[in-house]
This record gives sequence, structure tokens and C-alpha cells, in this order.
Amino acid sequence: MKLKINPFFFMTGPYLIWITAMIVIPMLLIVLYAFTIEGNDVATIQFSLDNFVRFVTDKTFLFVVGKSLWIAFLTTIICIILGYPIAYIISKSRGRQSLILILLLTLPTWINMLVRTYAWMGILQEGGVLSNLLEMIGIPGVSLLYTDFAVALGMVYNFLPFMVLQIHTSLAKMDNSLLEAASDLGANKVQSFLRVTLPLSMPGVVSGITLVFLPAVSSFFIPKLLGGGQYVLVGNVIENQFITAGKWNFGSAISLIMAIIIIFSMWLTRKIEVQPRKEEN
Amino acid sequence: MKHSSFAIFASVALLMICGLFIFAGCGKAKSAAIEKYGSDRLKLYLPGAYMSDSLIPNFEKQYGVKVIVEYFDSNEMMYAKVQAGDKYDVLIPSDYMIERLLSQKMLQPLDKNALTNIKELSPAVMNLKYDPNNTYSIPYFWGNVGIVYNTKKVDPKVVEEQGYSIFQNPDYAGRIYWYDSERDSFMIALKVLGYSMNTENKDEINKAYEWLLKMNDTMNPAYVTDEVIDAMTTGKQKDIAIVYSGDAATVLKENKDMSYFAPNEGTNVWYDAMVIPANAQAPKLANEFINYVMTYDVSLENTKAVGYASPNDKVLKEMSAPDGLFGQNKAYLPRSGYDKDEIFHDNEVIRSMISELWIKVKAHKAN
Repeated sequence: MKLKINPFFFMTGPYLIWITAMIVIPMLLIVLYAFTIEGNDVATIQFSLDNFVRFVTDKTFLFVVGKSLWIAFLTTIICIILGYPIAYIISKSRGRQSLILILLLTLPTWINMLVRTYAWMGILQEGGVLSNLLEMIGIPGVSLLYTDFAVALGMVYNFLPFMVLQIHTSLAKMDNSLLEAASDLGANKVQSFLRVTLPLSMPGVVSGITLVFLPAVSSFFIPKLLGGGQYVLVGNVIENQFITAGKWNFGSAISLIMAIIIIFSMWLTRKIEVQPRKEEN
Repeated sequence: MKHSSFAIFASVALLMICGLFIFAGCGKAKSAAIEKYGSDRLKLYLPGAYMSDSLIPNFEKQYGVKVIVEYFDSNEMMYAKVQAGDKYDVLIPSDYMIERLLSQKMLQPLDKNALTNIKELSPAVMNLKYDPNNTYSIPYFWGNVGIVYNTKKVDPKVVEEQGYSIFQNPDYAGRIYWYDSERDSFMIALKVLGYSMNTENKDEINKAYEWLLKMNDTMNPAYVTDEVIDAMTTGKQKDIAIVYSGDAATVLKENKDMSYFAPNEGTNVWYDAMVIPANAQAPKLANEFINYVMTYDVSLENTKAVGYASPNDKVLKEMSAPDGLFGQNKAYLPRSGYDKDEIFHDNEVIRSMISELWIKVKAHKAN
């Protein structure tokens, strides 16, 4: 039997080599580190679940992961609540107006995220722009920096455009004749929104969630700068384990656990996305 | 369409012409430097914002070489990179990290014949325990750790009486910046409790951990790193901060309301020094660079720009003389010869222990 090699194989070859060397092997190394204990040589490798036992039994680490997920969840929810109406308004506006609105929305993202976060520090701090304004209307001495509010604000501010753009894309694609049909069949505005617009925009919401939730889970410098370092998140702990504590095995275990959580949430969002299509069939 | 393709063509052509000129420029200097030092490229790896802006351009011009600079956030990050095999010619780590690099045989001895300016250095910074004969390292800057406070809001007497204990004084809850470093945090806690900052006694470290937990839970501190410099210079957000002496000197220079105090409980005296890694590609040029940094003019310019205490004896004396640039600045000249001040030593077990405890302190808050 003659083995036939797909000619495209040679074109994808470099990509496969690259992805193996840069992603697959490092991931396997992380898995290997996570399931072994410290001080192993290649010759005398010893598998163990110690790292995971330690993670589950030490409530500090569970707490840190819980807090990371909670902040990401909160950010995502606020982004949906704020982002949906914005996306709706943009998709309802016409031509140049909608272009200008999108430009206004994306303009700040042209500036580096770190710089924008530093700008918020200047705005929120005592004696900053906001507290001076509050003082003028008779509320002196307000310091918003290093509070939960500041962290939520910074996160939502940074991730909101991703949500809005995703929802806007799916709303803009929507066929207007569907709404006309709905009103022909006697649906009022609220009914046609709930039964036509909202279900059709769900794919946008779901991909918006993916784009906001995943980076938000692993982000750590916004909470660090605006929360005054009292927000120890997973990213910080992993860095600490590798760089200062020198515990690569435990750091790998935490990374692996986070990867599993992220893969699980991606699977979950995909499932939600696929569901309505099945109903159609 | 036509328009843009012409623009692309024009800019590519322009870039190529520029490139040619740059190459031609390099070519000339190349031969001389390579002949003399075996290389015309020097790779430097140092902490951020830690060198006067003019130092490198001047060195490049004078020696006809190209210096490539990279910055690290922490000694630990630098260590991870160098250990992974990244090649640099000169590093500027701290004392304890030099100890660690030495124990791993990652440094090479300096060429004392090339270091003709070594006699200009202050005896206060030479022959220290981390490198007894300065075989491997030449001090770059030195200093200690202390308290910067706003004299308009905090009575100097209170700071001087209470020392580090002020960080558990409820009067100042919510008014403090704490430097986010496990080494400095445990140094402070151990000093308050009257222990050595280099203790290997786990009970003492656990007591220090308890002290830090109490500070964290009752004082609502903001954990910061270098942003503390700007924050205290503005001086609006909070009133008391843990700051490295050289950064404190900058704060005090900019804001006259601020003062500095190195507590009587003792503090960490530290030295950052220039070293040449064992795998350096241009060791000859590296020695030349280290020698260049030691000269009076370069040291003067550097200390003026950065605000840290110079190891150059003459510069140090001039700067800290009553009429010198930092003569009235309480943070510039580190206290020397005080028996409760210590240099940090590297200890792998303790390092790992305090690193994990520190994460627990910071994560404890909302538990």
C-alpha cells in the first residue's frame, strides 16, 4: 500500500514544530513538575500528589483562587450590564454616527493598559481630580484609591470595550426584517427584544464573556495598583512560587489547576453557545 | 492604492539608506574597540531607573562601543534569567544575591589591573563579608531602609520614639505605605522583636510572621513598590512609608515636608555592586566599564541623578558635606558603624520560608 502524504502537511509542518516546541512541551513540563516533588533528578523521578494536597488543604491558596474567580466574575457581570445597552445604542445608530461611537469606545485602548491604570491612580487618590471635585461640592477628604470600588472600576474600564464590540458585532449582523416580522405578528417592542434580539445576540455575549472573563482571572496588576497590593491573586502567587520561593513544583501545580479551571469555563461557555442552535434543528 | 504603494516603497528605501549610514558609522568604531577589548558590544543588566541618563551615551562615545541595556524588577528575576543561560557582561545585583551567585560559581573574578580607579572608593563600602576582598564585585550604590514621613502630619518625636512600632500604632491606621518585599518586611518585624534579621530560628521567624499579620490586619496598609516614590513626593495620599534611603533622598529633595528616619531598632544596610557573570561575552570591556563607573566625574553625575549614596569616597564626602547637594538631606548618607544594622545573608531555606509566609500575610486580610 502506498502511503499518500497530504501536500499541505509540508506547509503546516513549521507550524506544528513551532506549536510543539513552544506550547506542547512546556505544558507537558508543567504537568510533570506538578506531579513530582522537589529535588528530583531525571533519573530518580518520584511522582506524588503532594502539591495538590497542599493546595487543597491550605486555605490561603483556595482563598486566593476564589478571590481571583470572584473578581473576574464581578467584572464580567458589570461589563455585560453596562456593555449591552452601549452595544445596542451603537448598533441602532446609523453610518457615521456609529463609526464615531466605536472610535470613541476603542480610542482609549490605543494607550497602554498600564499607563491608563496609573492615570486612574492619579484620579482616584486623595488630593486627586475626583476628590477635588467632591470637595468643591462639599464632600471633603474622600479617598477612593486602594478600595474595592477602585479595583472594580479599573477592571471594568479596561475590559468593557471587548464586551461591547463582541455584542455589537452580533447585533449589527442581525437581519432587521426579523424585527419587522415580529411586529407584524403582533409582538410589542419588549416582546420582540426578548424573543428576537436577545437570543440572536447571545453568541456575542458569550464570546464577550470569554474575552473578558479569561484575561480578568489572570490579571494581577490592575488589582495590585488600584487595590494597594492587598489583592493577592493567582498570578501573584504563581510568580512568587517560581521567582522568590523557588518552589517550581508547587507553582506548576497551581498553574495546572488554573489551566483546568479556564478550560472548564471555556467548555461551559461553548456549551451555552451551542445550545440554541440545537433547538433550531 | 497607487498612492500608498509609493509611500511604502519610499519609506522602505529611506529605511535602507538610514540603515546603510548606521552600518557605516558602526564599522568605523568597530575595528578599534574589537582590537582593544575583543568586543564592541556590552550587555548590561540592572534595576530600572538606577543610572544617570548620560552615563551610557558618554561611555559609548568615549570607547566607540554599543551598550545594550536591560532592566530587572528584582534580584530574583535577574537570577532566574541568568541561571537560565542568558548572557550578560555586567550585572548590578545586591549583596545577598552576589553571595548566591558566588555559591553557584556564576561569577568570574574581576581584572584588578584594569580597575585602576578602585582606590577612589570609600573604605566603608569595601571588603565586606559578601565578597571579602572585592575579588568579584565593585560597589555601585549603597544605602539602608528606613521610614519616610510627612512632618506636617506626623510628629518627628513620635517617629523617633516608636521606630518601626509606628506601623502598629492605630493612630496611623490607613495612613501607611508598606514596601512589598518579603525580605524587607521580615527584616522590620525581626528588628522590632529584637532578633537578628538573619536569624535561622523558626520560632523567631514565626513570631515575626505574627507581627506582620497584626500589622496587616489592623493598619490597612497599601503594599507598594517603586510607586511609593511618586506617592510620597506628592505627599497627599498617605503619611508614613517604608522606603530605601536613596529613593527617600529623592523624595526629600522634591518635597520639603518629608523627613527620613532609620529606626534605632536597627536596619538593613545594603550594597548593590557590579559583577561580571562567568559566561560574559565581553569580560575585558566589562572590566573597562566598571572602571569607568568608578571615576569621580561619572560617580558624581550618577549620584546626583539617582539620589543613592555613591561608593566614591570624594563624591560621597562632597555630596554629604553641610553645603553639598545632599548635605541637609537626612536620607542620603547611610548610617555606618551602628551595631544593630545588618547586611542581609542568603539562606535558601529561610528565603523560601519567608517568601511563602509573606504571601500569606498579604492574602490574610479579607479571610
